[in-house]
Amino acid sequence: MQKNKTHTNSYLIKQLPDAVVFLNRKMEIIYASDKLSTDFELSTSNVIGENFFTTFPYLSTQCQNAIRDSITGKNYKVKKEYYFNNDESYKWVEWSSAPWYDEDENIIGVIVKLENVDDTTNIELELKKTKDLLEETATTGKIGTWEYKIKEDILKWSNMTKQIHGVSNNYKPSIQTAIKFYKRGYSRKTIKEKVQNSLKDGKPWSEKLQIITADGREIWIIASGKPIFKKDKLIGIFGTFNDVNDIVNSEIKIKKSEELLRTLIDHLPINVFIKDINSKKIVSNKHDTIFSKVLGSDEVIGKNDFHFCDEETAKKNVKEDREVINSRIPVLAKEKLIIKKDGTKSIMLTSKIPLIENNGEVNKLVGFSVDITDIKEKEKELKKLINVTSLQNERLINFAHIISHNLRSQTANFSMLLDFLVKETNEIEKKSITNMLISTSEKLLDTLQTLNEVVIINTNVTLEKKPICLSNKISSIEKELFPLLNSNKAIIINEVPKSVYINVSENYLDDILKNMIENSVKYKHKDRSPIIKLSTKKNEDYITLNIEDNGIGIDLKKYGDKIFGMHKTFHNNNDTKGIDLYIIKNQIEAMNGKITVSSIVNEGTIFNIYFNEKD
Amino acid sequence: MKKINSIYIIDDDPITVFGIKKVLSTIVLCDSITTHINGKLALDGINNLISENKNLPDVIFLDINMPVMDGWEFLDEFIKIPLEKKIKINIVTSSIDPYDKKKTNSYKKKTHHPIFYINKPIQKTEVEEITTKTHLKP
Repeated sequence: MQKNKTHTNSYLIKQLPDAVVFLNRKMEIIYASDKLSTDFELSTSNVIGENFFTTFPYLSTQCQNAIRDSITGKNYKVKKEYYFNNDESYKWVEWSSAPWYDEDENIIGVIVKLENVDDTTNIELELKKTKDLLEETATTGKIGTWEYKIKEDILKWSNMTKQIHGVSNNYKPSIQTAIKFYKRGYSRKTIKEKVQNSLKDGKPWSEKLQIITADGREIWIIASGKPIFKKDKLIGIFGTFNDVNDIVNSEIKIKKSEELLRTLIDHLPINVFIKDINSKKIVSNKHDTIFSKVLGSDEVIGKNDFHFCDEETAKKNVKEDREVINSRIPVLAKEKLIIKKDGTKSIMLTSKIPLIENNGEVNKLVGFSVDITDIKEKEKELKKLINVTSLQNERLINFAHIISHNLRSQTANFSMLLDFLVKETNEIEKKSITNMLISTSEKLLDTLQTLNEVVIINTNVTLEKKPICLSNKISSIEKELFPLLNSNKAIIINEVPKSVYINVSENYLDDILKNMIENSVKYKHKDRSPIIKLSTKKNEDYITLNIEDNGIGIDLKKYGDKIFGMHKTFHNNNDTKGIDLYIIKNQIEAMNGKITVSSIVNEGTIFNIYFNEKD
Repeated sequence: MKKINSIYIIDDDPITVFGIKKVLSTIVLCDSITTHINGKLALDGINNLISENKNLPDVIFLDINMPVMDGWEFLDEFIKIPLEKKIKINIVTSSIDPYDKKKTNSYKKKTHHPIFYINKPIQKTEVEEITTKTHLKP
């Protein structure tokens, strides 16, 4: 009977809907429900007769004590204890223990109930974690929340929202007071509109607006709202409230300094540009844009020099760009000629500097260039002016020199001879002195005549110039000089093309050609007949007449600076006066030309006469 | 009258040469007055005298403006010749250019030969002073 009863008990307990264990006073498991085995993966038959604390070895002391103490007749409920599986994973378990009474109300053991609370605990934990995280994010990101319930007309702000508004945590906002925080004008108008629209149509919003906080600061915030529906009925709005003042302010600051930089760059009176690795412009200031623009194209950004310049210029520039980027060596203040597509030429002073980026790579260059065409032009004019001035100065000195030497030496001789004559008593000597006086007088007249000629040449401001066929002129001079040429067996080779016309004074040209040919004959080499070759060359400003002979030549190292002076001769040759070259030089200079000489002693001399074709 | 062994006149103007000779005839006794019409010929002459170990001139009258080799170029070459003897050099010129006077002074510093500067027309007293006084300071 007893056995039967026990069996019945055992059978009943097995079917209990909870995980329940019956322990005897020795804490040995007598009965266990099947639920225990399903919830805790324990085989019921294996645990019967085992010590409870051996079966659940990881119970806290509190829990163990509670279970043991139930023997004394107390009920316990221990919340949340770990239960470890064999594989060391764990579950949350709620334990409760109660005394086990027999029919005579004697305590014969303890009944322990185990409740698997694992799922709910995890969700709760997760929620707490999320909440913490949210709070953390909200605090560091300065994001508050708000909620408005339509039916109750209650507006709730989170603490962060309150903090952003500059009010204390016990502040109670309403829709009206909340809107008043917004700055008058655009911000307030916008928030009103958005809230109304949202209440009417259930439209969500998110706007960057300005509020004035309770403590008077003007700050930027992002307010967003989203309607809440319950069974298709709008019951409220909730949203976030984000302090973005720092972000907006730094954005504004960045924008301002960007604008300042841009304004500066744009208004710099030089070309500023940035080019990428393909030489395409990614920044171009006003000056550069205007300079680069070609007819029919407005865009400069994204284009390289092939778009603006002629092929040759572009090739050079792009090559240089690549070198700067590859070598990282800047090009500084380099002067170069830029020919644009429309053919206009400019002289630019350009610097190109490699742009080193944060990662140390160089893919861009920044360039500056100044158009110095005008400066260069002025420099050229200035140089020309200096040349003219120094030339005039040189002529003046030369002239003063002539006055000082040639005129004075003859007048000094006059004075000396007259002095002798007065004191002389010997008639023969007197006669000789008188002859010398006559010769001095002749020389003086000669000098004066030359000077007169030079003065005329130099003061003839309205020199009449006309185009003259140089080749024909040479032929006619050749005819004129036939007796001289013939008697010296001289040959003239005229290589000047018939097409060459020079703009000159005809009289001067006659003098020049005659004197040059006469000189060549005069200074012929004693071993050979004179050959005089005349040819021309044309360059930008001048037509050059080259007169080449095979005469004795001049040692220019010694006489270079004197050859065109007055009364200079360089040979022990009695019939030369040296006046010819002086006059010729003056005539050429009066026509804005110039004359140069090169020579090798005993081989010959080449005179280059430059006829100015520009003015 | 003071006696001078040898005088050189380097000048291409026969009238000046005539004048110098005429003035000299009234103040010194000179056995040999040599004339050269440019510096090159005079230099050749002097070099010949040196190589033949003959007496060099005591006084030189030197013109500045001459063809082939002028007075300055002559001086440049002349002062390079190592000579113990002091030769008086009289630069005779019609120039009133202060530059020439300055240039003369620059040569004075470069050589031990006494150098004088005479402006044309030549004056007897001037020539006399320079030529005859032995210990005259230049």
